[in-house]
Amino acid sequence: MPFVEVEGKQIEVDEDGFMVDPSQWWPGWAHYVAKQEGISELTDRHWQVIEFLKDYYAKTGIAPMIRKLCKESGIPLKEMYELFPTGPAKGACKCAGLPKPTGCV
Amino acid sequence: MSEATGLRQPKKASADLFRKLGVEPVPDNEKVQEAIRHLDDFRFRVRSFVMAMESCVKCGACAEACHTYLGTRDPNNIPAGRVDLIRKAYKRYFTVQGQLFPGLVGAQDLDLETIEKWYSYFYQCSECRRCAHVCPFGIDTAEVTFIARQILYWLGIAPQLHAATAEAILRTGNHMGLTKAGIEDTLEFLAEEIEEDYDGLKVEFPVDKPNSDILYVPSSADFMLNPNTLKGAAMFFKYVGANWTISSEITEAGNFGYLSDQSRIQREMVTRLFREATKLGVKKIVWGECGHGWRAAKMYPPTVSDLPGVKRIPITHIHDEVEAYIKAGRLELDPKRNDRKVTLHDPCNYARACGHSDNMRVIMNAVVPKGAFVEMKPSREANFCCGGGSGILFDDPDMYQFRILASNKKAEQVRETGADTLCAPCSICKAQLYPMVKEHKLPVEVVGLIDLVGHALVFRD
Amino acid sequence: MDLIIGQILPYTAAVVFIGGVTWRIWRWMIPRIVHNITLSPWPASWSAAIVWILWQFATFWNLLKFDRPLWAGAWFMHIALFLMLGGHIAAFYTVGLQFHLMAPGIITPEMSLALSDWIGTVLGLIFLVALLYLLGRRLVNEQVRNISSASDFLHLFLLIGIAALGNIMRLFPDYHLGYAPVREYLAGLFLFNPQPLPDHTLFIMKYTLVMTLMIVFPFSKLMHSFGFFWERWIVNRPYKEPARGLPGARLQLRK
Repeated sequence: MPFVEVEGKQIEVDEDGFMVDPSQWWPGWAHYVAKQEGISELTDRHWQVIEFLKDYYAKTGIAPMIRKLCKESGIPLKEMYELFPTGPAKGACKCAGLPKPTGCV
Repeated sequence: MSEATGLRQPKKASADLFRKLGVEPVPDNEKVQEAIRHLDDFRFRVRSFVMAMESCVKCGACAEACHTYLGTRDPNNIPAGRVDLIRKAYKRYFTVQGQLFPGLVGAQDLDLETIEKWYSYFYQCSECRRCAHVCPFGIDTAEVTFIARQILYWLGIAPQLHAATAEAILRTGNHMGLTKAGIEDTLEFLAEEIEEDYDGLKVEFPVDKPNSDILYVPSSADFMLNPNTLKGAAMFFKYVGANWTISSEITEAGNFGYLSDQSRIQREMVTRLFREATKLGVKKIVWGECGHGWRAAKMYPPTVSDLPGVKRIPITHIHDEVEAYIKAGRLELDPKRNDRKVTLHDPCNYARACGHSDNMRVIMNAVVPKGAFVEMKPSREANFCCGGGSGILFDDPDMYQFRILASNKKAEQVRETGADTLCAPCSICKAQLYPMVKEHKLPVEVVGLIDLVGHALVFRD
Repeated sequence: MDLIIGQILPYTAAVVFIGGVTWRIWRWMIPRIVHNITLSPWPASWSAAIVWILWQFATFWNLLKFDRPLWAGAWFMHIALFLMLGGHIAAFYTVGLQFHLMAPGIITPEMSLALSDWIGTVLGLIFLVALLYLLGRRLVNEQVRNISSASDFLHLFLLIGIAALGNIMRLFPDYHLGYAPVREYLAGLFLFNPQPLPDHTLFIMKYTLVMTLMIVFPFSKLMHSFGFFWERWIVNRPYKEPARGLPGARLQLRK
C-alpha cells in the first residue's frame, strides 16, 4: 500500500487515499484531506461531523447510517453535501480517518 | 483515463490487496500465457461461453440494445464487439480457421494491450443481459463478461472497489464491513424511527436470534443508504407475526464474488449463508432488495453449494412473499399513504434473470393509488439497466463520468414518465440512481419497493 | 477437370461438411451447462420451451421485435434459402414433377414444371435481393461494419455468387440447363456410378461455389444454423419456483 507524508509523518493509505489505520488520526490529517477535497477551511460544523464519525467508529467499528449522522450531529443532509462536496460517506469519512466504504455505495 | 493505456479504466486494486485475498498477481510477462491457459480451460467447461464464442453472426442487433453503447458510442461497447476482444484470441488459438487464416476471419494473437482492453470494457459491461434478451440466438454476453472478469481476477487485475469489497466479505461476511455492534446500533436507531413515525408502533429487529423460523438477508448498503427498505421489511415481518432474524455473519444480500471472482468469493458467500441458516435453525431464507445478489442466491445455489456440510434451505425473495400475502388478501394496505406519481425501474437481474416482472407490479399496484403507477418504456424484461449494474459504481472522475453516460438512456426513460418517485428495488440501482438523478437533474426521489409496502401497511392491534 | 470438380471435390465436400458439422457439435457437447441461466420470463415447462424456441426459429421473432430493418433482410433471405434447398432436392429428384406427384389428379406434369420454374424464379430473386440488402447494410451501417471481419463479407459474396449464377441460368434461356442432365450426374454420385459433369460452364461454376460453401461451412459462423438450437437450449429453459409462505408466522397465507 502507498504512503503519504503529512506534517512530516508517514501515513499508510489505501488506493483512494483513505487512512489505513484510524488510530493514527490527528487533526492535521483532517486539514490535509480537506484541502484535497476542495474544502477551503474546516469550520465548527465540519468538526461536529468529523468528531461524531470518529466517536461512532470507535464505538461500533462502522460508519453510521447517513440519516443517523444527520440526526445526531444535527446537520441536515443538504448542508452535509455543502460541507463535504463528495458526500458524507466519502469526503467526511476520509477526513475522520475512517476506511472507504465498500459495496453498493 | 488510465495514463498508461489511454483507456477508460477503473482504479486497480494493489498487489497487496490481492495477496490478502489469496491471489498472487501474475507478472506481466506471464499474463498472456496464463490468460490463454484459462480460456482453454473454460472452453471445455462452460457451454454458454463456447456458444457465445462460436454462434455470433455479427448481425449487430445488440448494438442499440446496450445502454453502455448508447451512452458511449464506442464500438468496443457493442456487445458483439466487446465479446470480440476475447473471441479474436479464441479464434486464433482454438479454431482451425483462426490458425490458418487469422487475418481473414478476424483472429488475433493475445497481447498485454488486449488484456488491458478486457479490463476496460468488461468493467463497462453491467452484465444486464439485455443483449441476450434481444439477440436472435439468445447469446448471453454476460457469460463472457463473467469469464473475462474471472480471468482478470486470477491474473491479479480487478477494480479497487471489487477487490476491497471481496476483502470485506472475507473479513465480515458483508460488503460494507459491518460489525455486529454497528448492525445492532443501526437497527435500534431504525426501531426508534418507526416508533416516532408510526404512532408508537413497536417493531423489533432481532439479530442472531437462535431458533428463528425465517432468516432475512438484507443488503448491507441498506445500513448506510436505504434505511426505509430495512424498515419496510421489518414492518412486514411484524405485520404477519414472523419469527425472524437477521444474521450478523451474513448481513449481505449482494454477492460481489459473483461479479469478479465466482470461483471462490461467490462460493464463500453461499457457503456462509447456509452455514448460518443451519446454525440458527431457520426453515426459510428471505432475501432483501438486491438484484445481482438475488440472482446469485436464487439461480446458483444448486450448482455452487456443493461444498461438504452445506445444507440447502429454501430461499425466496421478500417480494415473492409480499406478493403471495397480497394475492391471498392477507395484508391491509392503504395506498393513499403513498400518494405520489411513481415509476418502476425493473432491475436487470429481477426482470431478465429471476422472473420478477409480475410480482413487483402486483405489489406496486397494491401500495399506490389507482393510476399513480406509470410504466417506463420499455419496461419489464426489455428494460434498460440503471448504468451501475454488476457493481460498476466507480467514483474516480473518469469512471464517474462514464456512469453518467451509461445512465443517459435511463434518465430519458424516467423523464418521459413524468413521475416524482423512482422505485428501484435493488441496492446497486439505488446507489447508482441517487447520484444520477442529480446529475441528470431529474425531479424524482429514489425509493425501494418494500419501503412503499411498509409505509402502506395498516396495523390494527 | 471433370475428375477433380465432378468426382473428387463432391465427395470431399460432403465428407468435410458432414464430418465438420458433427465434430463441431461434438465439441459443443463437451462443456456443461453449469448453472441455470434461463432468461426470464422463462417457459413454464420443457414443451413450452421447445415451442418458444421453434417459434423464434420460424419467425426470427427477436429481430422482428427489436430490429425490423434487419428482420426484413434476414428472414426473407433465410426463408427463400430453405424453400430453395427443398425445391432443389424435390425438383432434381422428380425432374420437376414434384407438384404433379403431390396432387396427381389436379396438377398435370406440365403445370408442375411451370410451377417449379415460377416458384424457383421468384425465390431466387428474393434470395438475391435480400442478400444484396444485407451486404449493403453491412457496408452502410457503421455499427455493423465496425464489428465485421473480412470473412463476414466473403460469406455474403459466396452466397451472392451462387444466387446470381442460379438466377442467370433461370432468367436467360441461352444459359438454361434442364433438370434431367443434372439429375443423371447427381444420381451417378449417389450411386457411386460416375457420370460426366453436364457440359455447362455456368453450372460448373455454381456447383463449385456450392461445394466451396460446404467446405467452409463447419469452420465458419455459418454454424449458427445449428448454434441457434444449442444456445437457446441454454437460455430458454424452465425453472421451478419454491413455495411461498412464511413457516411459523402468526398470519399464514391460508386461514
